[in-house]
Amino acid sequence: MLSAAVRPTTRLLRFCQNTRCFQSAAATSSTVNAAEIAHFSRLSSLWWNEQGEFSLLHRMNPVRVHYIREKLLEATWEDQGEDARRVLESKCAVLTGMDVLDVGCGGGLLSESLARLGARTLGIDASESNIGIASTHASGDPQLSSSGNSLQYRHTSAEQLVKEPKRFDAVCSMEVIEHVDNPVAFLSACAQLVKPGGHLFLSTIARTPLSYFITILAAEYVFHKVAVGTHTYSKFINPSELISFFQTYRSSPSSSSNPTNSGHIGSDASPRPWITHTYAHGLPTRSEAEVRGIVYIPWSGEWKLMSRSSTPWGAVECNYLFWVRRPLDS
Amino acid sequence: MALFATPRSLARLRCRRRLFLRSFSSEHARDNDIVIVGGGPAGLALAAALASNPTAKNSLKITLIEGGDLSKIQDWSMPPNAYSNRVSSITDTSQHFLNKIGIWHYVEHARTNPIHQMQVWDGISGARITFDASEIPESNEMARMTENLNLQRALLRKLSDTPSVRVIQSVKVESIQREAGDRNDWPLVHLSNGATLRARLLVGADGFNSPVRSFAGISSYGWSYDTQAVVATLNHAPRGPFQAPNNTAYQRFLPTGPIAFLPLSPCTSSLVWSTKPHLAAALNKSSPGVLAQLINAAFRLPEPSFQYICKRLLEGVNSSEEIKEEIAFRERSDGISSHSAYASATSMISDGGISPDDADALPPLVISIQQGTIASFPLRYNHAESYLGEGAGSRTVLVGDAAHTVHPLAGQGLNMGLGDVDALSRCIIQALTHGGDIGSYTALMPYARERYFENHKVMSAIDKLHKVYSSTAQPVVWARSVGLEVVNELDSVKAALMMNAGASSRLQNANGWDLFAKSVGSLAGAASTSKMVGEMVGAGIQVLAKNAGERFFGRH
Repeated sequence: MLSAAVRPTTRLLRFCQNTRCFQSAAATSSTVNAAEIAHFSRLSSLWWNEQGEFSLLHRMNPVRVHYIREKLLEATWEDQGEDARRVLESKCAVLTGMDVLDVGCGGGLLSESLARLGARTLGIDASESNIGIASTHASGDPQLSSSGNSLQYRHTSAEQLVKEPKRFDAVCSMEVIEHVDNPVAFLSACAQLVKPGGHLFLSTIARTPLSYFITILAAEYVFHKVAVGTHTYSKFINPSELISFFQTYRSSPSSSSNPTNSGHIGSDASPRPWITHTYAHGLPTRSEAEVRGIVYIPWSGEWKLMSRSSTPWGAVECNYLFWVRRPLDS
Repeated sequence: MALFATPRSLARLRCRRRLFLRSFSSEHARDNDIVIVGGGPAGLALAAALASNPTAKNSLKITLIEGGDLSKIQDWSMPPNAYSNRVSSITDTSQHFLNKIGIWHYVEHARTNPIHQMQVWDGISGARITFDASEIPESNEMARMTENLNLQRALLRKLSDTPSVRVIQSVKVESIQREAGDRNDWPLVHLSNGATLRARLLVGADGFNSPVRSFAGISSYGWSYDTQAVVATLNHAPRGPFQAPNNTAYQRFLPTGPIAFLPLSPCTSSLVWSTKPHLAAALNKSSPGVLAQLINAAFRLPEPSFQYICKRLLEGVNSSEEIKEEIAFRERSDGISSHSAYASATSMISDGGISPDDADALPPLVISIQQGTIASFPLRYNHAESYLGEGAGSRTVLVGDAAHTVHPLAGQGLNMGLGDVDALSRCIIQALTHGGDIGSYTALMPYARERYFENHKVMSAIDKLHKVYSSTAQPVVWARSVGLEVVNELDSVKAALMMNAGASSRLQNANGWDLFAKSVGSLAGAASTSKMVGEMVGAGIQVLAKNAGERFFGRH
């Protein structure tokens, strides 16, 4: 009976998304919280109702993508200069040719956007029903379903994926880390999936009185914008905690997708941490990592990406985006 | 068997059915990113705006459907001295937009005419306000009178050079349905030629009776004005040698509705005369010779005298001689000198002579009416409750007259439509840059937010203006007249009003309000008696003034 129940699902996913390898075994990694998965499975049929439960997330999506685009343009400028940046900026599909992973893709809000921007996108989620919803939704869109393997979904976790050789130019995990049980293990799994010189994008919520007031008290209990139980205050993560994690985090040389490329480093040299310098107020240098607040403006119904100068710590006391780049020479 | 009842297995069946449909009947359900219903100026401009942007052009599949024969419009031509009776004033803002999308260059400029000045006066009190382009910094014209067909032809010529947009003409939309299934249920547009288009985004540019709006389940509110607009193309003598060229638009607010004179060339202008339906019917039926005399009288005679002439017309006096005699009688009894510009039937002014002092206050005398240009249509006010479809009507958006219909007295209808198209195309391009689904509510929300309130503001101002000027009650006439005259003395306020009405896109917001603030400052600062009057009439005047400013960009 179990195998019979699994088979149609497998076929559905293969059918709709050309999924290369569907892992029917449920992810058992320690960072996945069973209660959290059950909660989102209940909501997953509502993922694509833009005026429903996830309306705030739908509205946040363009800001996230805007930020990703901005940072990639900046990195191109850093690596190849102004001309290369201009060429990339003039293109709509700024992610063309990149392998991008969306960890905790949910209904596929971000994954679809990434795929439309040209990325070979893999969306993974610990909830099987989310993967079903995301695959089904994408299959109705000819732009996503006809472009070969550019958008795939898999029911797996970051920890499982680390065991495979595939590494990514960019790993995104939006509004996920505040839902996992072991954020340190989760962060290091995400970090391991990044190619040298690649990018890690996170978005989450800071653990401050303000964020409690806004995201839990107001959003869940008063205005019912978000289902009660969506957020757990103690799991919120402060920007300083992410920064200090990457101040000590060093990629192990073996995690590179192509060991021969990184082999030029002396075998005795241990790789440098992802964040090597911070300013006096604790912020990293802009070429290594960045924290940017995003604020919901209720009267316009839009999220606003705060300017760089509004950090520290005015704008990042609630929702924020975090970007860090794996050093090229690690 | 229980297994097939699970939602996922149903989804799988749907997937399979979809594939079946695609592979066997792809001709009948063609996927499109944007399907625009309606080939009027708004629909065509949207297609052109998107095609002019490299991002949108390369990534969007766009189809425009029009029930009528667009090739006739594309090949439209008229002799140089003849003009179509449907004319619009294209504001500076709209021109800027048309330039940006590469359309303005396709418009036949010889057939357009700049408006440098506008004169508007109260039909009862004669209180007058003059707007001059020279009052707007860095701008030399307020708007440009353009035949609608000239603009539409330009859009079609541009699109015929743009293979990325598919234009289907002489094909009607039979029905619009929502795709079966609960996945991405896109709108399906069934055409009269048997084809079916599947639309990521369905744009309703299909006019007042918009089928797209009905499909989307968007209700609209509004009313018919008890008013018809009579339009015609007027021939007149060129302006005298000591007068400014024919670049001034005139509008007189009669209690029955405004009559507007909009210059098209040195000796041709366009008429838009909004009036009560029974009078409009009589005007429409009258001979061109009679109508020409009535137009001249409508701009010139004191209101009671003109009301009397209308009464005579309605009583069946309809020969040219009788009407001329009636008008001449009223002119004599009102003491209008035959050497004044206010004389029409008794006018002794010869063409080419020295014009009387008051000639600039009035349009030139109409000599004749271009054959076949007299027409009339009803006027209404209508605003959709939303510009975006939701739920069962999702993936739809409204632009132009499908979203809003206004009284033509301010000539904002077409400009509002172009403003919608500008905003919507920017919104779509922005969504593309962010990898958004351009049919989604989230992607389109900025469009609705940018336009809805903006349009609403303009529409209610126009509506209130119509109502204020329909009144003959003494206090209302006094208030509106004082308001108009005070504002007429405050050049910087007028400049701010004109800019706010879109006369200058470059200076639009900030400078306009700077000027406005400055003028209010000077008004408060100087405690002279004349300015005291201004303060006394206070806020009410400002509302009127704003309305007056918005009304000036006269269309038809």
